[in-house]
Amino acid sequence: MKSILHLLEGDQTLGRGPRFWCTALVVLVGALVFGGLASSFAVDTASYFLVWVFMALGLALMWGLSGTLSFGQTAFFGLGGYCYAIVATNFGPDNGLTLVALLLSVFLVAVIAAIVGLFMFFGGARGVFVSIITLAISLSLETFLSQTAGPQWKLGSALIGGFNGITSMPPITIPWFGSDYEVTGRAFYYAIVAVLVLTYLALRIVGNSRFGDAMVAVRENPRRAEALGYNVKAVLLAAFVLGSSLAGVSGVAFTTWGLYVSPDTMGLAAAAMPIVWTAVSGKDLTATFIGTILLLALSQTLAIYGSQYAYVALGVVLIASVLTCPEGIVEKAMRLSLSQSGPGNKVRTTSRARWRNA
Amino acid sequence: MDIASLVLQFGSTAAFLLLSAVGLAVIFGMMGVVNLAHGELIMLGAYGTCLSYSHGLPLAAAMICGVGLATLAGMILEATIIRRLYGRPAESLVVTWAVGLIVSQGTLIILGPSLPSIPTPFGSFVLGTKSFSAYRIVLIAASVLSLLAVHFLLKRTRFGLHARATMQNPEIARAIGIDNAKIYRWTFALGSALAGVTGALYAPTMSIVPTMGGSFIVQAFVTVVTGGGNLLYGTLPAASGLGFIQTALTAAFGNLLGVLGLLAAVIVSAGVLPNGLAYYLSGKRVS
Amino acid sequence: MIALETRNLVRRFGGVTAVDDLRLQVRAGEIRCLIGPNGAGKSTVLAMLAGHLRPTAGAILFANRDISALPAYWRARHGIGVKFQVPSIFPALSVRQNLKIAKQRRLTGPELGISVDATLRTLKLAHRADDLAQELSHGEKQWLELGLALAVSPTLLLLDEPTAGMTPAETAATGELLKSLNSDGMTIVAVEHDMAFVRQIAHSVTVLNLGRHFAEGSVDQILESSAVLDLYLGRQNGEQPGA
Repeated sequence: MKSILHLLEGDQTLGRGPRFWCTALVVLVGALVFGGLASSFAVDTASYFLVWVFMALGLALMWGLSGTLSFGQTAFFGLGGYCYAIVATNFGPDNGLTLVALLLSVFLVAVIAAIVGLFMFFGGARGVFVSIITLAISLSLETFLSQTAGPQWKLGSALIGGFNGITSMPPITIPWFGSDYEVTGRAFYYAIVAVLVLTYLALRIVGNSRFGDAMVAVRENPRRAEALGYNVKAVLLAAFVLGSSLAGVSGVAFTTWGLYVSPDTMGLAAAAMPIVWTAVSGKDLTATFIGTILLLALSQTLAIYGSQYAYVALGVVLIASVLTCPEGIVEKAMRLSLSQSGPGNKVRTTSRARWRNA
Repeated sequence: MDIASLVLQFGSTAAFLLLSAVGLAVIFGMMGVVNLAHGELIMLGAYGTCLSYSHGLPLAAAMICGVGLATLAGMILEATIIRRLYGRPAESLVVTWAVGLIVSQGTLIILGPSLPSIPTPFGSFVLGTKSFSAYRIVLIAASVLSLLAVHFLLKRTRFGLHARATMQNPEIARAIGIDNAKIYRWTFALGSALAGVTGALYAPTMSIVPTMGGSFIVQAFVTVVTGGGNLLYGTLPAASGLGFIQTALTAAFGNLLGVLGLLAAVIVSAGVLPNGLAYYLSGKRVS
Repeated sequence: MIALETRNLVRRFGGVTAVDDLRLQVRAGEIRCLIGPNGAGKSTVLAMLAGHLRPTAGAILFANRDISALPAYWRARHGIGVKFQVPSIFPALSVRQNLKIAKQRRLTGPELGISVDATLRTLKLAHRADDLAQELSHGEKQWLELGLALAVSPTLLLLDEPTAGMTPAETAATGELLKSLNSDGMTIVAVEHDMAFVRQIAHSVTVLNLGRHFAEGSVDQILESSAVLDLYLGRQNGEQPGA
C-alpha cells in the first residue's frame, strides 16, 4: 500500500510535497463545505462543471502521457450518456438497476473504445491520422443520432429521439430499506466530488507507475520504446481505452445530472472542447483539472452575453494560448509557483512531418 | 430504380465529396497542416457569392467574388497564424478549429442567422421517370475539372514542381533556391481558393447560414482520411469509392444507411489502410 | 553455438531488391562487422534483424529459434539490443530518465536506482545525469543510446554505425567498451564504415554488395583482399580507376 501511495508523486505529475497536498486538502474541504452551504442552484452549477472533468482528465492522460490526440472523447461521452439513458429507461429505477445501468454504460464504452483502438493502432494508424479518424467517428455518431427522430428508432422502450435526444429517465436511484434514495441535487454533488477525487488520485498513481513510464517512452520515441521491449501498440491501446472510458464516465454523469442527453453534446464544437481545455490548461492532470473548471466558468459567464460571443472569446483564448504558451497557461503558472522542473512532463510539439506523396 | 439516375446520383455524391475534400487535401498533403477552418472557407465562398449576387451581379461573376473572398481570407489566415504551425499537425488542428469557430460565430454576429438563398440555375431535365436539376451535371463536371486543373498545376507547371520539391524535402528545396515560405503561402491560397470554389458552386443549392461549413467538413475529412494526402491516388479514388458506397446503400436502404455506410467504410479503411489509400496506391513508398 | 543465423534472407522495396538471398552465421561470443559500399543493404539487414522491417522472404534464427515473424519488442525482451544509425534516444527527457525508462521494465525500487547510477558511470555521463538528452554532444548521445541498448541485458547487440560522427578518441573508447562487453560473452554484429574501428574490434568481417554476400573472413583477410578493395574503389576486374 505504501509503495502505491508513493506513486502519487513523480515525474509525470506536477505537484509534490506537503505544501501542495495541504493546499489540495484545503480545496477539498472548501468544496465539501460549499456543497452544504451554497444555494441549490450554485451546487447544481458546480456539479455541471465537475461532470466534464473526467473527460478532460482522460484526454490529459491520452494526449499528455501517451501522445494520442483523440477527438473521440465526445463520441464516448455520448455513448456513455445514451447507454445510461436507454438502459435506465428500459429497466426503471427499482432494485438498484440504475446502478447497473451506470456500470454497464462505462463498461460498454470501454469495450467499444477497445474495438476502435484495436482497429486503429493495430492497423498501424499513427499521429494525426488517429486524430482525424476519431474526429470522423465523433461526427458520424452525431450525424447518426440526429437522424433518429422517428418512432421506429428505439431500443426497448426508449425512443432515441433524434435531434431532441432522450429526456425522461430515472436518476441514479439507490435502493434502501423503506424508500429508495434518488441521487440528485446536493447528494449528486457529493457523489461526483467523491468519484472525481478518487479518479484524480488513481490517475496520478497510474501516471507515475511503470505503465506511465511506458506511455512516456511510447510518446517520446516509439521506435526506441519498441527496441526496449515495450509493446507500443498495446500501450497506446490501453491508454486509449482508459482515457476514452473516462469520457464515458463524464457522459453518464452528465446524463444523470440533467436527466437528458442529445446529439448536441457531440457535434464539431463539442468534440473540440476537451482539446481546448487540455491545450489551454496544459496536459498535466492537475493543470487540466483546474483549467477545465476555469474555462467552463468563463464560457458560462460569457454565454450570458450570447453564446456566439462566448465562442469567439473562447476561440481567441485558445489561439493565443497555443501560439504563445504551448505548454498550457495553467501548467506554466503551476510550474512557476511550484518551481518544480519536470522535463519528463514537457509538452512536445510534434516534430516536422514529411509527407511522401506525388 | 433505373441505372441512369443511379449513375447521376453517384456522380453527385462523388462530386460533393471530391470538391469538399480537394482544398483540404492540397493543404494537408503539402504542409502537414490539418485545416479545420476549411468548412468556414467554403462558407465564405458561399457568402461572398450570395452577397455579390444580391447586389446585382450575375451569378458567374458573383461566384468569382466568392472565390476571391475565400482566397483572401485564407491568405490572411496563413500570414498571421498558419505560418507558425507548419509540420505541427496537432497544434494546427486545435488552432484552425478555433479560427473556424471565430469565423462562423463572427459571421453570425455580423451578418445574422442567414442570407437570402440563390435560385438554382439551368432548370431541370427528365431522366426516365424522374426529373433532375441540370445544375447537378455542372457540379459533377466542375469537380472533375478542378481536380484535373490542380493535378495539371502540380505536375506540369514550374510552381507545381517547386511545390512538390518543397513537400518532399523542404531543406533541400531551400538549399537549391526555392523559397519555402512563398510556396507554402501560395499553396495555402490554392487550397483556400478551392474551398471558395466549392462554396460558390454549392451556394445555389443550399441554405446560406454561418454554420454551413459543418455540412462539408465531415465529408471532406472522411475523404481525406480514406484517401491520404495525394490528390490523384488518394482523394479521387476515395471520393469515388465512398460515393459509390453511399449511393449504393442509399438506393438499397435509404438515406440514413447511406450515411452510416459511408462512416463505417471510413472506420474500416482506418483499420485496413491507416495511412490512406494514397500510401498504397502510389506504389512508390518505402516501408 | 550459433547465436544468429539468416537463411536466404530477401528484402524488396517495390522494384528494388535491397537484400538478396543472404546467408549469415554468427557464433555466440563473436564480434562480426558488416561492411560494404553504400547501397549494399547493410542497414536493411540490421533493421530486419532488429525486427523493424519484415523480410520479404527467408528466415532469421536467433539461438536456433525462428524469429522472422516476431515483433521488435519480443526480440528486445529476449536479449537482442539495438543501436540505430541516427541516435534514437528520448530527447526531451533527462539522461537519468532515459536510463530509468529503459531499465524499469526489468528492475524496480532501489535496484533500479543503483543500476542507473552504475550505467551513468560506465557511460561517463554521471555529470550530465540531469541534463536533457537533446543537449548532449553527438558522441555523448551515441553513448547514451548504447546505454539504452544495453538496458535490455542483451546476449546479442546489433549496432548500426556506432561510431558515426565520433572523434577518433571517442571511437577508440567505444571500441574498448564493446570489447569489454564482448569479453563477458556478448555477441556483437556491427555495421561499420570506419575500417580502423573494424580492425580494433572485429573477429570476423562480412562484406555485402548490392544486397548480396560478397566476401567473408577474418579481419586481415578481408581488409587486405584486392577483390574487396576493387569493390570499394569501383574497379571492375582489376582495371585502373577511370579506365
